[in-house]
Amino acid sequence: MFKRKRSAKDFSEELQAHIELEAEELQREGLSEEEAHRQARLKFGSVRREQERFHMRGRWASLDHWLRDLKHALRSLVDSPGFTITAVVTLALGVGANSAVFSVMHAVLLRSLPVNDADRLVYLQTTHAPHGTGTVGAHDTFSYPVYAALRNQNGAMETVMAYVPLSASKVAVRIGTQPEEAEGDMVSGDFFSGLGVRLERGRGFTEDDEKDHAPFAVISDAYWTRRFARSPDVLGTTLYANGVGLTIVGVAARGFEGLEAGRSTDFWIPLQSRPELNAWGNPLDEGKVYITNPTWWCLRLIGRLRPAVTKAQALAQMQPVFQAAAYEGLGAPAAGENKPVLSLGDARGFPALGEQYGKPLRMLMGLVGLVLLIALTNVAMLLMARNTTRQREFSMKLALGAGRGDLLRQLLAESLLLVTAGGLLAWIFAIYATRALGAWAQIEASLAPDGAVLRFTVAVLAVAVVLFGAVPLRIAMSAGPSLAVKTSAAVSGADTGKTRMGRIVVVLQMTICVVLLVAAGLLIRTLRGLENTPLGFNTDGLAVFGVKPEIHSLEQGREFYRDLTVKLRQIPGVESVGLMMWRIGSWSSDNTEMRVNGKLPDVPNGGSRRVRINVVGPGFFGTLGVPLVEGRDFADSDTASSLHVGIINEEFARRFLPGQNPLGHVIETERRGFPLTIVGVVKDHKFRSIDEEPIPMAWYEYAQIPVIGRMDVELRVHGEPLAILPAARKVVQQMDPTLPLIQPMTQRAQYDLTISSQMLFARLAGFFGILAVALVAAGLYGTLAYRVSRRTAEIGIRMAMGARRGQVVWMILKDSLVLTAIGVAVGVPSAMLVGRALTSSLYGVTPLDGASYALAIGGVACVALAASAWPARRAANVEPLTALRTD
Amino acid sequence: MSTRENNDDRISLLQGTLDLLILKSLVFGPCHGQGIARSIQAQSEDVFLVEHGSLYVALQRLEEKNWVRAKWGVSENNRKARFYSLTDQGREQLAEKASQWRRLTRAVGLILDGQSEEA
Repeated sequence: MFKRKRSAKDFSEELQAHIELEAEELQREGLSEEEAHRQARLKFGSVRREQERFHMRGRWASLDHWLRDLKHALRSLVDSPGFTITAVVTLALGVGANSAVFSVMHAVLLRSLPVNDADRLVYLQTTHAPHGTGTVGAHDTFSYPVYAALRNQNGAMETVMAYVPLSASKVAVRIGTQPEEAEGDMVSGDFFSGLGVRLERGRGFTEDDEKDHAPFAVISDAYWTRRFARSPDVLGTTLYANGVGLTIVGVAARGFEGLEAGRSTDFWIPLQSRPELNAWGNPLDEGKVYITNPTWWCLRLIGRLRPAVTKAQALAQMQPVFQAAAYEGLGAPAAGENKPVLSLGDARGFPALGEQYGKPLRMLMGLVGLVLLIALTNVAMLLMARNTTRQREFSMKLALGAGRGDLLRQLLAESLLLVTAGGLLAWIFAIYATRALGAWAQIEASLAPDGAVLRFTVAVLAVAVVLFGAVPLRIAMSAGPSLAVKTSAAVSGADTGKTRMGRIVVVLQMTICVVLLVAAGLLIRTLRGLENTPLGFNTDGLAVFGVKPEIHSLEQGREFYRDLTVKLRQIPGVESVGLMMWRIGSWSSDNTEMRVNGKLPDVPNGGSRRVRINVVGPGFFGTLGVPLVEGRDFADSDTASSLHVGIINEEFARRFLPGQNPLGHVIETERRGFPLTIVGVVKDHKFRSIDEEPIPMAWYEYAQIPVIGRMDVELRVHGEPLAILPAARKVVQQMDPTLPLIQPMTQRAQYDLTISSQMLFARLAGFFGILAVALVAAGLYGTLAYRVSRRTAEIGIRMAMGARRGQVVWMILKDSLVLTAIGVAVGVPSAMLVGRALTSSLYGVTPLDGASYALAIGGVACVALAASAWPARRAANVEPLTALRTD
Repeated sequence: MSTRENNDDRISLLQGTLDLLILKSLVFGPCHGQGIARSIQAQSEDVFLVEHGSLYVALQRLEEKNWVRAKWGVSENNRKARFYSLTDQGREQLAEKASQWRRLTRAVGLILDGQSEEA
């Protein structure tokens, strides 16, 4: 069948020989030598045309083989639509789910920052930040003096760049008159040049821009597209951020959306010193912004190593400088205090995102890998089952002289078709699934399967093609040419080995299924637990939004918020109004240590003295519905000139004033002062997030301390909370037409954001659990149905011998129940291991949660029963006589 | 041999017939392409003039089907040429195709003769 191909040269030599021979013949017939040659060539026609024909024919021959194989494969697949559809859909789900999760993981964890030479970029991190910096727990922020010291230390680092958000969320922005919100960062002068980010248009910043705090802005390509429709006139436009005019001087290269975790920065400005543009949108602290307040650790730092300098070398050089600068403004370190330690992290992916989603995503990748394994084994099993029934066909082909290569080519063609169809579907599935994943995770950075994901998917598919082509070949070849003439009895006995393998695969799938279901169950119950965790107050009817007015004096600020409160209270449907500086349920908090009656309280066993502080308005607790244990809520009568009062929570009283009546005690922050007299104690409630543990808290009244800036407004309304927002917007804009409502939403939605990663994780795990169960069911059904069909003759004999239907049904069911039992027996311990690994992601559920296990085992058993019921029924309906006669 | 002038008498070969004629011309021994063309032309008393292009396409086809095999050799007048010879499979094919052809011609003849009798 396979002839050695002739070379084109060989062929043209033959043609040449032909012409020579012909010419000689003609010469012998009496023509002159010249004329004979002419005639011979003429008679032959175009030699080149013949050569082309030869060439094309050679091509066609091989192409023809493939086309024939593909056509044959297509026909054979169309002939068994059930098999084909199952296999294609299984592949699409298995591979598609993998691609989607891989693409999110790739974007979040693996993809480098879209900058030049990302390998030399490092994030600066610290452990043991000095006491009194207010950044307990955060290890990626630094004070301005630290930034200045590290930048000026011209050694191992080419440059150290600083960046800091203008707000934890979005800032009030205005272009023209329309108030809007956008995300902005303040950055050091060499931010763009140091990172190596190209400017699409205009220019980046310079060192001078940073020194002069120049009112310039560079916007992102995405923002340019979204807000300015890529207008070329954008350069020179004024953008007002928190009321400060900034001239747009550049547009950053497409794809660069900042260094912030999964968020897309809309604009950057040089580091500023104006109070309106304080770091993180914070109000002034004792009249100081982040630059003049050496103890506020708020800047994020990223550095570029000099070529050929290792991290360790750089650290050795920078550590002493860092440790000296860290204590600027703080005095000497307390005795026994741990020294702050600088470390360098790879600028790969988004560090904070990696922390938040890294572990869950890796777990997910694992779960999805299991799903893929199930999918691939399923298709392989389907193929094996299908091709075993085709043994006769293969055997016939072998008998007719087809070679091993021909069979392999045919099987590969079928596998190629299957995998191509499955792969295309998978890609479509992956695109939508990725989008859904991104939405769930609230990752705003652009997220779509890209080249790397495509390569990953294609690699998986390529493995599948070869696997699916080669696995059945063994079966096909094992038949041998002689099988064609054998009887069916011989066939039924021939595949005990494959049956054993089939059983192993089914057990393996059951095991994986149990693991996935347990994991899904644990996570979903965690989510349920989180959603039902009491917050300590009722969020129904609560709407929240932020405002950031232009404030030039304390008095003006107080007046603004007093007016706002009064006007909001007058809106029909509004029950009460509360103000707060730190929006509850937004992960933000201000932490400090507090003196109680003039001294730092003793805490047993060296426990934490950390207190969370919030600044709120009159009637705040009444608005939330947090019950008072003792004393009173803040009231309108608490003003700057009246007694400065404060409210604490039960945990504060328990820890710092045990066994005493807290009312009347005076507390103040350790460094800043602001003494206040406790007039109320409220019940503990959730402040930063749903899954936090109670922590001591203290509240100030906004009119009584000299800290006023952005505030968030809490509205308790009758009916649908969001319906009140248009009226609220009108009120705000009557006071200042340039003010947007910042991140308006229901309070419940705000809290839900704090469990969004758990929600995502749980939903995905649930989804993949169900997907796995569906796949296992399909596989089990396929395997059992196939085995029943193989045993038709046997069943026929049994029935002819007097077996009752019930016995036959039981025989089939028993088969799959035994497999299920083994699967569960192996699956439960495996699931325990996975559950242990999941512990940190669980909340309110133990890794050995009985309900999850019961559910998983029940689920697998149901699937096994359902998948065997149909084949069993078919077995019971076998006509003894027909069964014996067929085949 | 002065047949090159009266082209009108020649009949173009029926599709598929060429294979048969090539096989037949190889019965008495190996021959190169030009020789095959000549021999078909001569044996048909110059009725068939083999188009050389089709000849070589046909030879390739037959070679692929394993009905003929080929190897380079030296012609009677000392030229290098590619000699074709029949394989066993080719011999079988020749027998089969020849008998098919005879049945065909007989059938056609019957019809044609029948018609002439009625006329």
